[in-house]
Amino acid sequence: MIVSFNYRNRSSLLERFDPRARWFFSILVLFSITLFWDIRFLLFFLVLTLGQYALARLTWRETRRAWMFVIFLMSMMVIVNTLFTSSGAIGAVMRGTHTVVQFKITIPVVGWVYHFNLTVERLWFALTQVVRILSISALFIVIPFTMDPRQYGATFRGMGIPDRLAYTLDLAFRFVPTLGRDFQVTLDAQRARGYEVEKVEGGLFAQIRKMAPLVVPVTMNAILSGEDYANAMDLRCFGLHQRTWIEHLQYHRYDYVLIGFGVLLLGGSIVLSLFGYSDFWVPAALIP
Amino acid sequence: MEKKSLWAFGTREVVYAAIGAALYAVLSVATNFLQIPAAANVSIRPAVAIPMFFGLAFGPWVGLIAGFVGNLISDLVSGYGFWLWWDLGNGLMGFVPGLVYLTMTDFRLTGDLVKAEIMVVVGAAVGMFVASVSEIWVSGIDFTTSMATNFVPSFISNVVNGLILVPILMIAYAAIRGRSGR
Repeated sequence: MIVSFNYRNRSSLLERFDPRARWFFSILVLFSITLFWDIRFLLFFLVLTLGQYALARLTWRETRRAWMFVIFLMSMMVIVNTLFTSSGAIGAVMRGTHTVVQFKITIPVVGWVYHFNLTVERLWFALTQVVRILSISALFIVIPFTMDPRQYGATFRGMGIPDRLAYTLDLAFRFVPTLGRDFQVTLDAQRARGYEVEKVEGGLFAQIRKMAPLVVPVTMNAILSGEDYANAMDLRCFGLHQRTWIEHLQYHRYDYVLIGFGVLLLGGSIVLSLFGYSDFWVPAALIP
Repeated sequence: MEKKSLWAFGTREVVYAAIGAALYAVLSVATNFLQIPAAANVSIRPAVAIPMFFGLAFGPWVGLIAGFVGNLISDLVSGYGFWLWWDLGNGLMGFVPGLVYLTMTDFRLTGDLVKAEIMVVVGAAVGMFVASVSEIWVSGIDFTTSMATNFVPSFISNVVNGLILVPILMIAYAAIRGRSGR
Protein backbone atom coordinates (compact mmCIF):
# COMPACT_ATOMS: atom_id res chain seq x y z
CA MET A 1 0.00 0.00 0.00
CA ILE A 2 1.53 3.28 -1.02
CA VAL A 3 0.93 5.92 1.64
CA SER A 4 2.13 9.16 0.19
CA PHE A 5 1.70 12.77 1.13
CA ASN A 6 0.01 15.17 -1.23
CA TYR A 7 2.82 17.69 -1.18
CA ARG A 8 4.86 18.42 -4.28
CA ASN A 9 6.88 21.45 -5.18
CA ARG A 10 4.67 23.78 -7.21
CA SER A 11 7.01 26.79 -7.11
CA SER A 12 4.03 28.83 -6.01
CA LEU A 13 4.26 32.18 -4.24
CA LEU A 14 2.79 30.59 -1.13
CA GLU A 15 5.64 28.11 -0.79
CA ARG A 16 8.21 30.90 -0.60
CA PHE A 17 6.94 31.87 2.83
CA ASP A 18 8.47 30.30 5.91
CA PRO A 19 6.10 27.53 7.11
CA ARG A 20 6.16 29.00 10.61
CA ALA A 21 4.94 32.35 9.27
CA ARG A 22 2.19 30.57 7.36
CA TRP A 23 1.06 28.69 10.45
CA PHE A 24 1.01 31.84 12.58
CA PHE A 25 -0.93 33.68 9.87
CA SER A 26 -3.45 30.85 9.48
CA ILE A 27 -4.12 30.61 13.21
CA LEU A 28 -4.47 34.41 13.53
CA VAL A 29 -6.92 34.51 10.63
CA LEU A 30 -8.85 31.54 12.08
CA PHE A 31 -9.42 33.39 15.35
CA SER A 32 -10.33 36.54 13.43
CA ILE A 33 -12.97 34.71 11.40
CA THR A 34 -14.53 33.13 14.48
CA LEU A 35 -15.19 36.59 15.98
CA PHE A 36 -17.66 37.57 13.26
CA TRP A 37 -21.26 36.75 12.44
CA ASP A 38 -21.68 39.72 10.10
CA ILE A 39 -21.58 38.34 6.57
CA ARG A 40 -20.02 41.53 5.20
CA PHE A 41 -16.84 40.93 7.20
CA LEU A 42 -16.96 37.20 6.57
CA LEU A 43 -17.04 37.82 2.83
CA PHE A 44 -13.81 39.79 3.22
CA PHE A 45 -12.20 36.78 4.90
CA LEU A 46 -13.61 34.47 2.25
CA VAL A 47 -11.97 36.55 -0.47
CA LEU A 48 -8.72 36.60 1.53
CA THR A 49 -8.61 32.82 2.03
CA LEU A 50 -9.66 32.07 -1.54
CA GLY A 51 -6.90 34.41 -2.65
CA GLN A 52 -4.43 32.34 -0.65
CA TYR A 53 -5.95 29.22 -2.22
CA ALA A 54 -5.43 30.69 -5.69
CA LEU A 55 -1.80 31.49 -4.89
CA ALA A 56 -1.21 27.83 -4.04
CA ARG A 57 -1.81 26.79 -7.67
CA LEU A 58 -3.88 23.78 -6.69
CA THR A 59 -6.02 21.98 -9.22
CA TRP A 60 -9.60 20.89 -8.70
CA ARG A 61 -8.57 17.30 -9.28
CA GLU A 62 -6.10 17.42 -6.40
CA THR A 63 -8.45 18.98 -3.89
CA ARG A 64 -11.77 17.59 -5.10
CA ARG A 65 -11.95 14.97 -2.39
CA ALA A 66 -11.27 17.50 0.37
CA TRP A 67 -13.88 19.92 -0.95
CA MET A 68 -16.50 17.17 -1.32
CA PHE A 69 -15.87 16.19 2.29
CA VAL A 70 -16.21 19.80 3.45
CA ILE A 71 -19.35 20.42 1.40
CA PHE A 72 -20.99 17.24 2.64
CA LEU A 73 -20.29 17.96 6.31
CA MET A 74 -21.23 21.63 5.97
CA SER A 75 -24.49 20.82 4.21
CA MET A 76 -25.48 18.29 6.81
CA MET A 77 -24.79 20.65 9.72
CA VAL A 78 -26.37 23.74 8.17
CA ILE A 79 -29.48 21.95 6.92
CA VAL A 80 -30.13 20.22 10.23
CA ASN A 81 -29.42 23.40 12.18
CA THR A 82 -31.58 25.62 9.97
CA LEU A 83 -34.52 23.34 9.30
CA PHE A 84 -34.78 21.09 12.32
CA THR A 85 -33.14 22.48 15.43
CA SER A 86 -32.02 26.13 15.74
CA SER A 87 -33.04 25.82 19.34
CA GLY A 88 -29.74 27.36 20.47
CA ALA A 89 -28.69 29.55 17.60
CA ILE A 90 -27.47 33.06 18.34
CA GLY A 91 -29.93 35.53 19.80
CA ALA A 92 -30.68 37.65 16.75
CA VAL A 93 -31.62 34.55 14.79
CA MET A 94 -33.91 33.29 17.54
CA ARG A 95 -35.64 36.68 17.82
CA GLY A 96 -36.39 36.69 14.11
CA THR A 97 -40.09 36.75 13.39
CA HIS A 98 -40.27 37.27 9.64
CA THR A 99 -41.73 33.99 8.54
CA VAL A 100 -41.06 32.54 5.12
CA VAL A 101 -42.65 29.12 5.55
CA GLN A 102 -44.72 27.81 8.43
CA PHE A 103 -46.62 24.58 8.94
CA LYS A 104 -47.44 21.86 11.47
CA ILE A 105 -46.89 18.12 11.14
CA THR A 106 -48.62 15.66 13.42
CA ILE A 107 -46.61 12.48 13.85
CA PRO A 108 -48.97 9.49 13.83
CA VAL A 109 -49.12 6.91 16.62
CA VAL A 110 -47.36 9.13 19.20
CA GLY A 111 -49.42 12.21 18.36
CA TRP A 112 -46.50 14.63 18.61
CA VAL A 113 -46.95 17.92 16.79
CA TYR A 114 -43.90 19.38 15.06
CA HIS A 115 -44.08 23.14 14.39
CA PHE A 116 -41.95 24.19 11.45
CA ASN A 117 -41.21 27.90 11.20
CA LEU A 118 -38.59 29.06 8.72
CA THR A 119 -37.76 32.74 9.06
CA VAL A 120 -35.75 35.19 6.98
CA GLU A 121 -33.26 35.45 9.84
CA ARG A 122 -32.65 31.68 9.90
CA LEU A 123 -32.13 31.50 6.15
CA TRP A 124 -29.69 34.40 6.24
CA PHE A 125 -27.89 32.79 9.17
CA ALA A 126 -27.52 29.60 7.16
CA LEU A 127 -25.87 31.60 4.37
CA THR A 128 -23.60 33.28 6.93
CA GLN A 129 -22.60 29.88 8.30
CA VAL A 130 -21.73 28.65 4.80
CA VAL A 131 -19.48 31.65 4.15
CA ARG A 132 -17.76 31.21 7.52
CA ILE A 133 -17.15 27.47 7.11
CA LEU A 134 -15.88 27.90 3.54
CA SER A 135 -13.46 30.61 4.70
CA ILE A 136 -11.98 28.37 7.38
CA SER A 137 -11.81 25.38 5.03
CA ALA A 138 -10.04 27.35 2.28
CA LEU A 139 -7.56 28.59 4.89
CA PHE A 140 -6.40 25.12 5.90
CA ILE A 141 -7.01 22.91 2.87
CA VAL A 142 -3.92 24.35 1.16
CA ILE A 143 -1.53 23.24 3.92
CA PRO A 144 -1.15 19.50 3.11
CA PHE A 145 -0.53 20.34 -0.54
CA THR A 146 1.89 23.21 -0.11
CA MET A 147 3.94 22.39 2.98
CA ASP A 148 6.81 19.90 2.84
CA PRO A 149 6.19 17.13 5.43
CA ARG A 150 9.96 16.95 6.07
CA GLN A 151 9.80 20.43 7.55
CA TYR A 152 7.01 19.85 10.04
CA GLY A 153 9.32 18.91 12.90
CA ALA A 154 11.61 21.91 12.44
CA THR A 155 8.58 24.14 11.88
CA PHE A 156 6.84 23.25 15.11
CA ARG A 157 10.11 23.42 17.03
CA GLY A 158 10.62 26.89 15.61
CA MET A 159 7.14 27.83 16.82
CA GLY A 160 8.10 27.05 20.40
CA ILE A 161 6.91 23.46 20.75
CA PRO A 162 9.24 21.45 23.04
CA ASP A 163 12.08 19.59 21.38
CA ARG A 164 10.88 16.07 22.20
CA LEU A 165 7.37 16.77 20.98
CA ALA A 166 8.62 18.28 17.73
CA TYR A 167 10.90 15.30 17.22
CA THR A 168 7.98 12.93 17.90
CA LEU A 169 6.09 14.62 15.08
CA ASP A 170 9.08 14.33 12.77
CA LEU A 171 9.53 10.66 13.65
CA ALA A 172 5.84 9.95 13.07
CA PHE A 173 6.11 11.27 9.51
CA ARG A 174 9.14 9.09 8.92
CA PHE A 175 7.35 5.99 10.18
CA VAL A 176 4.32 6.40 7.89
CA PRO A 177 5.81 4.89 4.70
CA THR A 178 7.48 2.10 6.70
CA LEU A 179 4.27 1.11 8.45
CA GLY A 180 2.36 1.45 5.19
CA ARG A 181 4.70 -1.09 3.67
CA ASP A 182 4.38 -3.37 6.72
CA PHE A 183 0.60 -3.15 6.45
CA GLN A 184 0.75 -4.23 2.80
CA VAL A 185 3.06 -7.15 3.60
CA THR A 186 0.74 -8.29 6.39
CA LEU A 187 -2.31 -7.94 4.17
CA ASP A 188 -0.68 -10.03 1.43
CA ALA A 189 0.40 -12.67 3.94
CA GLN A 190 -3.09 -12.90 5.39
CA ARG A 191 -4.64 -13.06 1.92
CA ALA A 192 -2.36 -15.98 1.15
CA ARG A 193 -3.98 -17.68 4.14
CA GLY A 194 -7.50 -17.09 2.86
CA TYR A 195 -8.22 -13.76 4.57
CA GLU A 196 -10.56 -11.56 2.51
CA VAL A 197 -10.94 -8.07 3.88
CA GLU A 198 -12.82 -6.67 0.90
CA LYS A 199 -15.77 -9.02 1.27
CA VAL A 200 -18.54 -7.07 2.94
CA GLU A 201 -20.13 -9.81 4.94
CA GLY A 202 -21.76 -9.88 8.29
CA GLY A 203 -22.97 -7.01 10.41
CA LEU A 204 -21.04 -4.10 11.83
CA PHE A 205 -19.47 -6.07 14.68
CA ALA A 206 -18.37 -8.88 12.38
CA GLN A 207 -16.71 -6.41 10.05
CA ILE A 208 -14.78 -4.78 12.87
CA ARG A 209 -13.71 -8.13 14.30
CA LYS A 210 -12.53 -9.06 10.83
CA MET A 211 -9.98 -6.27 11.01
CA ALA A 212 -8.16 -7.89 13.95
CA PRO A 213 -5.95 -10.19 11.77
CA LEU A 214 -4.69 -7.03 10.07
CA VAL A 215 -4.50 -4.58 12.94
CA VAL A 216 -2.95 -6.85 15.56
CA PRO A 217 0.15 -8.13 13.67
CA VAL A 218 1.00 -4.70 12.28
CA THR A 219 0.64 -3.10 15.71
CA MET A 220 2.65 -5.73 17.58
CA ASN A 221 5.46 -5.69 15.01
CA ALA A 222 5.62 -1.92 15.26
CA ILE A 223 5.79 -2.06 19.06
CA LEU A 224 8.58 -4.67 18.99
CA SER A 225 10.58 -2.49 16.60
CA GLY A 226 9.98 0.47 18.86
CA GLU A 227 12.13 -1.00 21.61
CA ASP A 228 15.06 -1.22 19.20
CA TYR A 229 14.58 2.37 18.06
CA ALA A 230 14.41 3.59 21.65
CA ASN A 231 17.61 1.70 22.57
CA ALA A 232 19.40 3.08 19.51
CA MET A 233 18.36 6.61 20.38
CA ASP A 234 19.44 6.22 24.01
CA LEU A 235 22.84 4.93 22.87
CA ARG A 236 23.20 8.15 20.89
CA CYS A 237 22.32 10.25 23.97
CA PHE A 238 18.96 11.41 22.69
CA GLY A 239 17.41 14.08 24.85
CA LEU A 240 20.54 15.05 26.77
CA HIS A 241 21.31 18.14 24.70
CA GLN A 242 19.43 20.61 22.55
CA ARG A 243 18.73 18.99 19.21
CA THR A 244 19.67 20.45 15.82
CA TRP A 245 17.62 19.87 12.69
CA ILE A 246 18.58 19.04 9.12
CA GLU A 247 15.94 21.44 7.83
CA HIS A 248 17.07 24.96 8.59
CA LEU A 249 14.33 27.56 8.47
CA GLN A 250 15.02 31.25 8.16
CA TYR A 251 12.64 34.18 8.31
CA HIS A 252 12.72 36.76 5.55
CA ARG A 253 11.24 40.24 5.53
CA TYR A 254 8.09 39.13 3.78
CA ASP A 255 7.51 36.48 6.50
CA TYR A 256 7.46 39.22 9.13
CA VAL A 257 5.08 41.21 6.92
CA LEU A 258 2.77 38.19 6.71
CA ILE A 259 2.79 37.66 10.48
CA GLY A 260 2.30 41.39 11.04
CA PHE A 261 -0.67 41.39 8.68
CA GLY A 262 -2.19 38.50 10.62
CA VAL A 263 -1.70 40.31 13.92
CA LEU A 264 -3.30 43.45 12.46
CA LEU A 265 -6.25 41.43 11.22
CA LEU A 266 -6.82 39.84 14.61
CA GLY A 267 -6.33 43.13 16.46
CA GLY A 268 -8.74 44.91 14.14
CA SER A 269 -11.25 42.07 14.47
CA ILE A 270 -11.13 42.24 18.26
CA VAL A 271 -11.68 46.01 18.21
CA LEU A 272 -14.61 45.73 15.79
CA SER A 273 -16.06 42.96 17.91
CA LEU A 274 -15.80 45.03 21.09
CA PHE A 275 -17.69 47.89 19.40
CA GLY A 276 -20.46 45.54 18.30
CA TYR A 277 -19.69 45.41 14.60
CA SER A 278 -19.28 41.64 14.53
CA ASP A 279 -22.86 40.77 15.41
CA PHE A 280 -25.24 38.92 13.14
CA TRP A 281 -26.66 41.21 10.42
CA VAL A 282 -29.61 40.80 8.08
CA PRO A 283 -30.03 43.20 5.13
CA ALA A 284 -33.03 45.49 5.61
CA ALA A 285 -34.15 44.77 2.06
CA LEU A 286 -34.95 41.19 3.00
CA ILE A 287 -37.20 42.13 5.90
CA PRO A 288 -40.79 42.54 4.64
CA MET B 1 10.12 -3.30 32.79
CA GLU B 2 9.02 -1.20 35.73
CA LYS B 3 6.46 1.48 35.07
CA LYS B 4 7.71 4.99 35.52
CA SER B 5 5.71 8.07 36.44
CA LEU B 6 2.37 8.56 34.73
CA TRP B 7 3.63 11.77 33.17
CA ALA B 8 7.07 10.62 32.05
CA PHE B 9 8.01 11.47 28.46
CA GLY B 10 11.41 9.95 27.79
CA THR B 11 12.91 8.28 24.76
CA ARG B 12 10.61 5.29 24.94
CA GLU B 13 7.52 7.48 25.09
CA VAL B 14 8.76 9.57 22.15
CA VAL B 15 9.20 6.46 20.00
CA TYR B 16 5.90 4.85 20.93
CA ALA B 17 4.00 8.09 20.48
CA ALA B 18 5.47 8.42 16.99
CA ILE B 19 4.69 4.80 16.17
CA GLY B 20 1.15 5.15 17.51
CA ALA B 21 0.57 8.28 15.45
CA ALA B 22 1.91 6.72 12.27
CA LEU B 23 -0.06 3.51 12.86
CA TYR B 24 -3.27 5.45 13.44
CA ALA B 25 -2.74 7.37 10.22
CA VAL B 26 -1.86 4.34 8.11
CA LEU B 27 -4.69 2.18 9.41
CA SER B 28 -7.21 5.04 9.04
CA VAL B 29 -6.32 5.49 5.41
CA ALA B 30 -6.15 1.74 4.80
CA THR B 31 -9.60 1.05 6.26
CA ASN B 32 -11.37 3.92 4.51
CA PHE B 33 -13.19 1.40 2.39
CA LEU B 34 -15.21 0.11 5.34
CA GLN B 35 -18.74 1.49 5.31
CA ILE B 36 -21.49 1.20 7.87
CA PRO B 37 -24.18 -0.98 6.30
CA ALA B 38 -27.16 1.05 5.06
CA ALA B 39 -25.55 4.37 6.05
CA ALA B 40 -24.46 6.28 2.98
CA ASN B 41 -21.03 7.89 3.04
CA VAL B 42 -20.28 7.00 6.64
CA SER B 43 -17.18 4.89 7.18
CA ILE B 44 -16.19 3.09 10.36
CA ARG B 45 -12.68 3.52 11.64
CA PRO B 46 -11.18 0.52 13.43
CA ALA B 47 -7.94 2.47 13.75
CA VAL B 48 -9.38 4.50 16.66
CA ALA B 49 -8.44 1.54 18.85
CA ILE B 50 -4.76 2.48 18.34
CA PRO B 51 -4.59 5.71 20.41
CA MET B 52 -6.80 4.13 23.05
CA PHE B 53 -4.55 1.07 23.30
CA PHE B 54 -1.33 3.09 23.21
CA GLY B 55 -2.63 5.26 26.04
CA LEU B 56 -3.38 2.19 28.14
CA ALA B 57 -0.04 0.54 27.33
CA PHE B 58 2.36 3.48 27.44
CA GLY B 59 0.71 6.35 29.29
CA PRO B 60 -1.54 9.36 28.69
CA TRP B 61 1.01 11.47 26.81
CA VAL B 62 1.62 8.67 24.31
CA GLY B 63 -2.15 8.21 23.86
CA LEU B 64 -2.66 11.94 23.41
CA ILE B 65 0.04 12.29 20.76
CA ALA B 66 -0.93 9.08 18.98
CA GLY B 67 -4.48 10.37 18.60
CA PHE B 68 -3.72 14.04 17.89
CA VAL B 69 -0.79 13.61 15.52
CA GLY B 70 -2.23 10.44 14.00
CA ASN B 71 -5.46 12.18 13.05
CA LEU B 72 -3.47 15.14 11.77
CA ILE B 73 -1.31 12.94 9.53
CA SER B 74 -4.36 10.96 8.39
CA ASP B 75 -6.04 14.19 7.26
CA LEU B 76 -2.80 15.25 5.55
CA VAL B 77 -2.50 12.01 3.61
CA SER B 78 -6.19 12.10 2.72
CA GLY B 79 -5.88 15.76 1.67
CA TYR B 80 -8.66 16.93 3.99
CA GLY B 81 -6.68 19.85 5.38
CA PHE B 82 -6.45 20.65 9.08
CA TRP B 83 -9.25 20.31 11.59
CA LEU B 84 -7.40 21.05 14.80
CA TRP B 85 -10.40 20.62 17.09
CA TRP B 86 -10.99 17.13 15.75
CA ASP B 87 -7.28 16.36 16.19
CA LEU B 88 -7.66 17.45 19.81
CA GLY B 89 -10.73 15.23 20.20
CA ASN B 90 -8.84 12.23 18.88
CA GLY B 91 -5.95 13.06 21.17
CA LEU B 92 -8.25 13.06 24.19
CA MET B 93 -9.57 9.69 23.09
CA GLY B 94 -6.07 8.35 23.67
CA PHE B 95 -5.24 10.51 26.68
CA VAL B 96 -8.17 9.54 28.88
CA PRO B 97 -7.57 5.74 28.80
CA GLY B 98 -3.91 6.48 29.56
CA LEU B 99 -4.87 7.86 32.95
CA VAL B 100 -5.22 4.28 34.25
CA TYR B 101 -1.82 3.25 32.80
CA LEU B 102 -0.17 2.78 36.19
CA THR B 103 -3.01 0.63 37.52
CA MET B 104 -2.74 -1.94 34.70
CA THR B 105 -0.84 -4.96 35.97
CA ASP B 106 -1.48 -7.77 33.49
CA PHE B 107 -3.43 -7.06 30.30
CA ARG B 108 -4.86 -10.56 30.39
CA LEU B 109 -6.62 -10.12 33.73
CA THR B 110 -10.37 -9.62 33.62
CA GLY B 111 -10.09 -6.64 35.95
CA ASP B 112 -7.65 -4.83 33.66
CA LEU B 113 -9.77 -5.61 30.61
CA VAL B 114 -12.91 -4.27 32.27
CA LYS B 115 -11.05 -1.16 33.39
CA ALA B 116 -9.81 -0.64 29.84
CA GLU B 117 -13.29 -1.02 28.36
CA ILE B 118 -14.68 1.56 30.76
CA MET B 119 -11.92 4.00 29.89
CA VAL B 120 -12.49 3.39 26.18
CA VAL B 121 -16.09 4.56 26.59
CA VAL B 122 -15.12 7.53 28.74
CA GLY B 123 -12.29 8.50 26.38
CA ALA B 124 -14.49 8.35 23.31
CA ALA B 125 -17.18 10.38 25.07
CA VAL B 126 -14.78 13.08 26.26
CA GLY B 127 -12.87 13.29 22.99
CA MET B 128 -15.84 13.42 20.68
CA PHE B 129 -17.74 15.77 22.99
CA VAL B 130 -14.87 18.28 22.99
CA ALA B 131 -14.57 18.07 19.20
CA SER B 132 -18.32 18.42 18.70
CA VAL B 133 -18.64 21.36 21.08
CA SER B 134 -15.70 23.05 19.34
CA GLU B 135 -17.64 22.72 16.12
CA ILE B 136 -20.31 24.96 17.68
CA TRP B 137 -17.73 27.71 18.06
CA VAL B 138 -16.46 27.30 14.50
CA SER B 139 -19.61 26.60 12.51
CA GLY B 140 -22.22 28.40 14.61
CA ILE B 141 -24.48 25.38 14.83
CA ASP B 142 -26.41 24.91 18.03
CA PHE B 143 -25.75 22.28 20.67
CA THR B 144 -28.51 19.94 19.50
CA THR B 145 -27.27 19.95 15.91
CA SER B 146 -23.71 19.39 17.03
CA MET B 147 -24.72 16.42 19.14
CA ALA B 148 -26.91 14.94 16.41
CA THR B 149 -24.59 15.41 13.44
CA ASN B 150 -21.16 15.21 15.07
CA PHE B 151 -21.12 13.66 18.51
CA VAL B 152 -23.56 10.75 18.23
CA PRO B 153 -22.24 9.21 14.96
CA SER B 154 -18.58 9.60 15.91
CA PHE B 155 -19.04 8.47 19.52
CA ILE B 156 -20.97 5.34 18.62
CA SER B 157 -18.53 4.38 15.87
CA ASN B 158 -15.46 4.94 18.04
CA VAL B 159 -16.88 3.18 21.08
CA VAL B 160 -17.86 0.08 19.12
CA ASN B 161 -14.43 -0.10 17.46
CA GLY B 162 -12.67 0.46 20.76
CA LEU B 163 -14.70 -2.04 22.75
CA ILE B 164 -14.04 -4.79 20.21
CA LEU B 165 -10.43 -4.16 19.22
CA VAL B 166 -8.74 -2.77 22.34
CA PRO B 167 -9.08 -5.99 24.39
CA ILE B 168 -7.74 -8.00 21.44
CA LEU B 169 -4.72 -5.69 21.23
CA MET B 170 -4.20 -5.87 24.99
CA ILE B 171 -4.13 -9.66 25.04
CA ALA B 172 -1.80 -9.79 22.04
CA TYR B 173 0.52 -7.23 23.69
CA ALA B 174 0.57 -9.20 26.94
CA ALA B 175 1.64 -12.27 24.98
CA ILE B 176 4.54 -10.59 23.19
CA ARG B 177 5.61 -8.78 26.34
CA GLY B 178 5.70 -12.05 28.22
CA ARG B 179 7.65 -13.86 25.50
CA SER B 180 10.20 -11.15 24.89
CA GLY B 181 10.83 -10.37 28.55
CA ARG B 182 10.03 -6.67 28.07
